[in-house]
Amino acid sequence: MTWETVIGLEVHVQLATASKMFCGCAAVFGEEPNTNVCPVCLGLPGALPVPNAEAVRLGTVAALALECTVHPASVFARKNYFYPDLPKGYQISQYDRPLATGGRLAVESPDRGPITVGITRLHLEEDAGKSLHDRFPGLTAVDLNRAGVPLAEIVSEPDLRSPAEARAYLGAIKQLLVFAGVSDCSMEKGHLRVDANVSVRRAGEAAFGTKTEVKNVNSFANVERALEAERDRQIAVLEGGGRVEQVSLLFNAASGEVRPMRAKEESHDYRYFPDPDLPPLVLEPGWVAAQRDALPELPDAKRARLMAEHGLSGYDAQVVTAEPALADYYEAVVTAGAEPKLAANWVMSEVLADQNAAGALRVAPARLAALIGLVQEGTVSLQAAKKIFAEVAVSDGDPAETARRLGLVQVRDAGALERWVDEVLAAHPEEVARYRAGETKLLGFLVGQVMKRSQGQADPKGVQPVLRRKLG
Amino acid sequence: MTAAPDAVAREVAARLEAAAPLNAVLHWSAGGIEAEARRVAAMPSAGPLHAVPLAVKDNIATLDAPTTCASRILEGYRSPFEATALRRLRAAGAMLVAKTNLDEFAMGSSTEHSAFGRVHHPLDPARVPGGSSGGSAALVAAGVVPAALGSETGGSVRQPAAFCGVVGVKPSYGRVSRYGLVAFGSSLDCISVFGRTVGDAARVLATMSGHDPLDATTLAEPPLAVPETPTSLAGMTVGLPTEYFPADLDPGVRAGVDRVAAALRELGATVTEVSLPHSRYAVPTYYIVAPAEASANLARYDGVRYGPPRPEHEADLRALYRATRGRGFGPEVRRRILVGTYVLSAGYYEAYYGTAQRMRARIAGDFRAAFERVDLLLTPTAPTTAFRAGEKTEDPVAMYLADVFVCPASLAGLPALSLPAGRSEGLPVGAQLIAPAGQDTRMLAVAAALEERVVAAGEVR
Amino acid sequence: MTISRDEVLHIARLAEIAVDEAELATLVSQLNRIVDYVAQLEAAPDEGQGDDFLPGPARVALRDDRVRSEPLAHPPAALAPAWRDGYFVVPRLSAMEDA
Ligand SMILES: [Mg+2]
Ligand SMILES: [Zn+2]
Repeated sequence: MTWETVIGLEVHVQLATASKMFCGCAAVFGEEPNTNVCPVCLGLPGALPVPNAEAVRLGTVAALALECTVHPASVFARKNYFYPDLPKGYQISQYDRPLATGGRLAVESPDRGPITVGITRLHLEEDAGKSLHDRFPGLTAVDLNRAGVPLAEIVSEPDLRSPAEARAYLGAIKQLLVFAGVSDCSMEKGHLRVDANVSVRRAGEAAFGTKTEVKNVNSFANVERALEAERDRQIAVLEGGGRVEQVSLLFNAASGEVRPMRAKEESHDYRYFPDPDLPPLVLEPGWVAAQRDALPELPDAKRARLMAEHGLSGYDAQVVTAEPALADYYEAVVTAGAEPKLAANWVMSEVLADQNAAGALRVAPARLAALIGLVQEGTVSLQAAKKIFAEVAVSDGDPAETARRLGLVQVRDAGALERWVDEVLAAHPEEVARYRAGETKLLGFLVGQVMKRSQGQADPKGVQPVLRRKLG
Repeated sequence: MTAAPDAVAREVAARLEAAAPLNAVLHWSAGGIEAEARRVAAMPSAGPLHAVPLAVKDNIATLDAPTTCASRILEGYRSPFEATALRRLRAAGAMLVAKTNLDEFAMGSSTEHSAFGRVHHPLDPARVPGGSSGGSAALVAAGVVPAALGSETGGSVRQPAAFCGVVGVKPSYGRVSRYGLVAFGSSLDCISVFGRTVGDAARVLATMSGHDPLDATTLAEPPLAVPETPTSLAGMTVGLPTEYFPADLDPGVRAGVDRVAAALRELGATVTEVSLPHSRYAVPTYYIVAPAEASANLARYDGVRYGPPRPEHEADLRALYRATRGRGFGPEVRRRILVGTYVLSAGYYEAYYGTAQRMRARIAGDFRAAFERVDLLLTPTAPTTAFRAGEKTEDPVAMYLADVFVCPASLAGLPALSLPAGRSEGLPVGAQLIAPAGQDTRMLAVAAALEERVVAAGEVR
Repeated sequence: MTISRDEVLHIARLAEIAVDEAELATLVSQLNRIVDYVAQLEAAPDEGQGDDFLPGPARVALRDDRVRSEPLAHPPAALAPAWRDGYFVVPRLSAMEDA
């Protein structure tokens, strides 16, 4: 029996604002608990919400980047439930009239190649605070610093067909939102959170199976693992003749298992209704159009352009556009005069490695372009260039100057080359004999020995003809 | 009222002392009043309300006195911020002298639903002062203060103003900030004002009105102006909505309103009949919309962030919630939260809340249509004069019907006021004026013109 | 009876309000009195779908994204019914730990 997995994702991203969604408190991470609060986000009697214009703008930008229809009027609604970190006893969200609906996202599926995933809706809402269940024995500790931070909730259609595809979707949406400047999407800070709806059905069936919801998984890799575990669990239930219950589940990353959340005493009835504290959110069509016009180049378009303009492969384009800063860096290196394909090779190897180690793009684009030029013209070897790169990363020195200082400029002087060749031939009489007996592949060994003797300074292109002549 | 703040402080303290039997006040202290007097005396220049003593309903956030909403659930609660309206009034020189008693969370029409005891009518302690702003109404009627703040959700200032024989003004929705007014029904709530005279009320209203960046439901309009009193109302048309004069209307009330209609004619206005056919649905509409909003607005009283101290370890969180809210809220508040929860719950939302929202639009539409023909509406404020304590506490719906004539303007967001219109069997009668949205000042001007002719009218029947 | 006893208990749980067994009968009858009264709206002549109505501004005015917290005259610790090391504390309820 073959099974098809059907997955839809709800992604909450924190919008990159200075202040909270409905009050002037800072939207920052890592303060002392309950210090970043005011009457509004504490839910004090008499306090009222006032929406943040930048949160509205960023939500709109996200919606436009996802090719959604942004509605001229949307409505904030109250979602009613009790939880200790929900100060008002309701969350201000949007319900039947969300900011935007009907978008799509291009995703490179590991199983199916390029696919388009439908975006059902994007709406604005406020975050809750944090409940800490392990801070004090027998107590739940509540920190409201995060309460009221602005979120966009992005709901996908159930268009994903495997856990790996779900992971690819998350990578694509994160990249898009980071490029659009909407959110930093940092999972460590909880700025991107994922709930996944998953069901299985027999291959070829049209109707969806009963879905379950896997909540609050803390990394893309774990989303994939959690969905695999839940898919396997559902298939096992169905193959055992059972029925899938519509439940919410939590993923235990340590054990790799999903378990149902302990049943709520009361099934959820959120009693949504329009928030009477907030008149409708009305966006002028001209303003929305201006946001669309001002969208930065998004990852797909950028990749297509780099492939067309610079002849990069799809893979290379993918790697150099992983993040906006890296893509900008790559383009700056090319603008500074580097050959585009060579620039991509450098960015994908040394630059990324250095960034991972040092946490920054340390070599200025013009310096890297100059270094690539030195290699191209034969002034330094590629090996030497990597040393120079590492040095420039620290010193920010001129690459040519650094090459001289480190003695890494390649020696092409015929006298010097001949001297090293002679010394090598004298030191390896046996290999010389074998070469002359027809074992010509030993040329490489001999070139290596010359390079070694020259401490890397000999130009390998100059060494070969000299060797051949002396051996010939 | 003399303008020396310390003298005012002494006089008001003495009068508050004397008025204690009314149970109109929840918090006051001579020291607090003296501090206000010193603050006002130290102001570099005398503001427009210099040394005016003001009583404030205890559902409006104040910094120094508690803000309890007459509820056990907020017993001892001190707000760490001040309501915008009150901040403006104090900056204009007004002195906060007392926090007044109310129906718990402003839910009621008699001020019998206070956790801290009922308020007595100043003219007859066996009767109610109306509600929910009964404490403020009684203090103004007893001459303790010239003006007081109340709040309206569905008539909670106009109705007690009528019962107590004072002026009660509800502004257009959105003209006075709700920031710091403890929410009951957010789409209806308005800080409103009682005055001994139209002028006293109008000055307070003008000072506290205007856009507030902290309240997204305030209109981007300048503060209201204090009206000039016109000498003639020639050219003005006033409508009497037939639905507000049912056959069983209290004859004394009818006589009082007739007296006002006559005064309008004397001043040159044309008085004509109009119809507001959907107003008959206002009370049921109100008792869906207001409890629905209240059920969410009162969810924040969960015992987590504020409220009376409690042991850290209760049985469990749900037990904490249910005990806090079950014990902390009085019976009427619990009923309304439950009704509001019910009308919003799955399967019932459309039948109740959805229907009520559409009816609300029709009620407002009736007013819009009427105001194409007339400038102002005149109705009774309440169907009866002040009733006896206990008379309506057994039947919640009977209590709700006390607001039958004041609810519609609340649902439509319109400015409205109650003007004393003489007495019937010794008890005050109120006449209500309702104006188009934003015409607050014009409505107050008409009331000022009428005031001299009708307030001193004495027995009308 | 429009609202049954069980429905009253259900909405009381949704609203997190304890109801004593002793007062339940009265509460059920009062709530029915109120709900039956407001239900007359359903019997009002149907005039087709109308618009909703809300007083006040037609559109919400937005706030600039500036960090400017409204001050608290006294801190959360002074308000809290139970407070420990900078946190509001409540009894731990295992059934609610998961959200
Ligand atoms: Mg959400
Ligand atoms: Zn805040």
